[in-house]
Amino acid sequence: MTATLQGVFGAASARPLTAFGLVFLLVVIVFALASPLIAPYAPLEIDSLNRLVPPNAEHWFGTDHFGRDTFSRVVYGARLALLIGIGVVGFALMTGVPIGVVSALYPKIGRVLMRGVDVLMAFPSLLLALGLIVILGRGVANAILAIGVVYLTTTARIVYGVALRLREETYVEAAQSMGAGTIWTIRKHILPNMISPLLVQASFVFAFAQLGAASLDFLGLGTPPDIPSWGNMLAESRLYITRAPWLLFFPGMMIALTAFSLNLTGDALRDHMDPRFREAMGSRKRM
Amino acid sequence: MNAGRKTKSLIVGCAALLAAVSVGALAAADAQAATLRYATIGEPPSLDVQMGTATLATTIGQNMFETLYAFDSTGAPQPMLAESETVSEDGKTIVITLREGVPFHNGQTMTAEDVAASLSRWKEFGARGKTLNAASIEATGDNEVTITLAEVNGAWKSLLAFPNGGPVIYPADIVTAAGGEPIKPDNYVGTGPYKFVEWRPNRHVELEKFDDYASRSEPADGSAGAREATIDTLQFVPVGDVSTRVSGVQAGDYDYAEYISGDLYGILKDDPAIAPHISNAPIFGLMFMNSKEGILAGNYKLRQAVLAALNMTEALQISVGDEELFSAEGSIFPEGNVWYSKAGTENYNQNDPEKAKSLAEEAGYKGEPIRLLVSTNYQQHFDQANVFKQQLARAGINVELNVTDWATLLKERGEPQSWDMFMTHHGPSPDPVLLTFMNASYPGWWTSEERNADLAKLVGTSDLAERQEAWATTQALVYEQIPAVKVGDVFSFDIGSPQLKTTWDRAPAFPYFWGATK
Amino acid sequence: MWGYILKRTAAALATLVAASVLIFIFIHLIPGEPAAVMLGDAATPDQVAALRTRLGLDEPLFVQYFYWAGSALQGDLGRSIFFDEPVTSVIADGAQTSILLASITMVWVVLIGVPVGVIAAMRRGSWLDQGLSGLAMLLASIPTFWVGLYLILVFAAQLGWLPSSGYPSIFEEGGLANLRYLILPSLALATPNAALILRLTRASMLDVSKEDYVRTARAKGISPRQVTLRHILRNALLVVVSAFGFTFAALISEAVVTETVFALPGIGRTVVQSILRRDYPVIQGVILVIVCLYLVLNLLVDISYRFLDPRVELE
Repeated sequence: MTATLQGVFGAASARPLTAFGLVFLLVVIVFALASPLIAPYAPLEIDSLNRLVPPNAEHWFGTDHFGRDTFSRVVYGARLALLIGIGVVGFALMTGVPIGVVSALYPKIGRVLMRGVDVLMAFPSLLLALGLIVILGRGVANAILAIGVVYLTTTARIVYGVALRLREETYVEAAQSMGAGTIWTIRKHILPNMISPLLVQASFVFAFAQLGAASLDFLGLGTPPDIPSWGNMLAESRLYITRAPWLLFFPGMMIALTAFSLNLTGDALRDHMDPRFREAMGSRKRM
Repeated sequence: MNAGRKTKSLIVGCAALLAAVSVGALAAADAQAATLRYATIGEPPSLDVQMGTATLATTIGQNMFETLYAFDSTGAPQPMLAESETVSEDGKTIVITLREGVPFHNGQTMTAEDVAASLSRWKEFGARGKTLNAASIEATGDNEVTITLAEVNGAWKSLLAFPNGGPVIYPADIVTAAGGEPIKPDNYVGTGPYKFVEWRPNRHVELEKFDDYASRSEPADGSAGAREATIDTLQFVPVGDVSTRVSGVQAGDYDYAEYISGDLYGILKDDPAIAPHISNAPIFGLMFMNSKEGILAGNYKLRQAVLAALNMTEALQISVGDEELFSAEGSIFPEGNVWYSKAGTENYNQNDPEKAKSLAEEAGYKGEPIRLLVSTNYQQHFDQANVFKQQLARAGINVELNVTDWATLLKERGEPQSWDMFMTHHGPSPDPVLLTFMNASYPGWWTSEERNADLAKLVGTSDLAERQEAWATTQALVYEQIPAVKVGDVFSFDIGSPQLKTTWDRAPAFPYFWGATK
Repeated sequence: MWGYILKRTAAALATLVAASVLIFIFIHLIPGEPAAVMLGDAATPDQVAALRTRLGLDEPLFVQYFYWAGSALQGDLGRSIFFDEPVTSVIADGAQTSILLASITMVWVVLIGVPVGVIAAMRRGSWLDQGLSGLAMLLASIPTFWVGLYLILVFAAQLGWLPSSGYPSIFEEGGLANLRYLILPSLALATPNAALILRLTRASMLDVSKEDYVRTARAKGISPRQVTLRHILRNALLVVVSAFGFTFAALISEAVVTETVFALPGIGRTVVQSILRRDYPVIQGVILVIVCLYLVLNLLVDISYRFLDPRVELE
């Protein structure tokens, strides 16, 4: 793992774009952790006298139709972006890894489990997420769950592929034949080798979770609209695109650059990954 | 291996496609003058206007279907398919004489049987059919229909004139076959100046001029009087996104577009490519309170606290935008209307957090969360709820927003245990008895001794002056018991191409296009 | 071989059955009901109940499922509650638009993604390559609806060159000229996909160029330019073409948003609106058809892979 991280930073110095990505992610993290310190205004403070003000010295990114400060909302929006990203990655890993590992180790259970994953994969991802949201209701946790289910499938597939390969490799088989317990096999051989493919997968899932959440917000079925998220800001700004184009620009830019930075990081991680597993990472799923 | 050739033919194909597009674009430049394209906010539900109260269904349907009476420009009902009427001494028996020789779109001539069958079906199944409280409706001659009311109802003519969910006239065989089912598009047959052509889901509803239309001879006045289909074809095109409706009119793709968001008014009113039409029929936002269960049920003091804290001007400014498009008006009916009254309106738009605090304290309120149910399908509802939440917070009243989609809201508001307040809006009402908060079975379920007494007075007489007085008392009660909070009058605005000349300047509640030219 | 095809088909059918049950359960878990939405704001609970009974929504769920699945087998997906016409014709209507949109999008994707990918691969490691690859990555990270809104703002609202929304069928008045309504939506939809295909073309060209026969061709003295065009491109294209199968699912999802932004009467927008209206038969029908398409497509890809490349191992 440290080798992988070293790889990323090594790559960052060689590739200026990757460096940009890492710096931008750092900005997003700082925004999220220190939003009250950075944001000049409260993100929900309504100011009916200063509606739809273009960017100026007081309101760097202008204001929206409630008179709320766009820059402050962009800063607070970083919190939700991280929350959604971490939540979706966490959910996808916590469900996808056990499903993949168990399926690889126990082919009988695996047949059923992976068939279930196939069934879920047959649904168009956004429609699946939309349907789940309508059933569960709008909410941050529900949005995470709905997007997480989509990436559960890809994660399980990847883990399954990698674990199968590891299981076949002689040292695991030898360990098993020597009577080592399954739990031991998993801990000693499978999980450590899984870390770098999972890191790569995590950064892509993190990136695409941003786009998925933005799409749900845009369709009015994501994060509750009273929470400042970049997707909600875009959805609200739509009515004012001709009159207040800055409302469209800044949140959209944040979404795009965040996803971009995460994709760059994922690419850099992949280039430094054990080539045996690179194949399993093949397909990317954009929502 | 002929991938290379395939690629080549693919590229050639694309080039041909692009060429076709650019040539075609030129050809499309000479638009058809005889068609009016109307961009709607979405797909209409069934156009059987008797059965539903959707505004859009009425806007489209009124071109095909007509009522016995129609409102003139002052809001008074005038005969349309009816010729004249006599009302008995006790006010319970109404004999209506019909116009003769009015053809339906299918060639049949309208008879008293058609009218009686249509009115009876409306009374039985219609969306507003129960409001008339008729005991029987019968054809009592070739051109005469007799309505017997169970109780005196001074509002009867307005009810027969209101097209929204109202008693439009269809041929008898069609209504008999349909019964409680919505009439199917193939059977959209009426007497109106336009007849049904086709309905293509998500694409358009198309109507065309009915050549044999029997127009009234009086000059046009509001939707009463003569109607003439001067434009051959009407197309209603669903365009859900407001900015695309606007740019569609700017680009000349549509001649008319409804429900433009208020904030665009400022820039659009000076745009030479657009003629704005502010509505003359305000819609008003309503925040309903739960009279059946929960913290607000029966707690009039707490309701008054909520009302005292609200600043309607701010809510309207943010949710609507331009000053010309809203009016912080406490009277339920707009000024100039027969039902206009100032009674109780001193409690409207108080913006007094201190008073709210003390009222809440008197009510025994201790910061318990008050659940406000709101949907995002209507941006104004959400904007107003959001502003109210902040205003109430200043008065120490803790509001929790429950944001859902409209279908979920419709379900949840039917469950008294799951909400305390919800946001909706209503269009203009022809009579106070039709107001939803006056209806004890409408979610909110407002009923109290005082309300029942006031309502009895309101429907018990047909004398206008007595009814106006009864309504003033009722409105004062509405501001005391607060079954619902009126947010304010909002004038939606539509836009049209400057070439489109309509018979009205301010858009009516249901814009119509007979007599229009482009 | 036949055994393999049979086995894959059986597996796909099993998936389809499981998916159909899942669709049905899912959709009936959605709160809210079509009857209330249809009757409008002023409807009383009695009216809603009466309409619900009339629409057959009172029957037990499993009974409703067997009705639905039974007639679906006969090609009848039921009637739309909202439009009151067969779901199959609602789908056919929307599919006409969506398929055309997808096809034009694919044209952009191929026209932009493949040549630029080839250029990047040929100039591997150069500034041009790095710039193009970086740009592709950026474009693949942009939400399609954001691209769409900007296209509307610039090309429709400000320049007035192209229509902002809607699409009258090419079979209607206006004819082929109506294709101009699909230019902006297809460009928005093509943006991320062209970027992905660009990256894929570049990567597979680099992979193929390492293989033996390319080295042989080079050794035979064929000019590098010809090697690139004849051998590498042809083989790389095969890889890219098979990737289109996978792009399908992504395209469907993105089309939902794009069709909403541009108010196109396609399948994606129909399904979103049907969810909001609780028009169960339409939602069920559309998703079932999409799932079917996806399974058939994957089956074909699997089988054709087996034909094209005998090295692929059987399960």
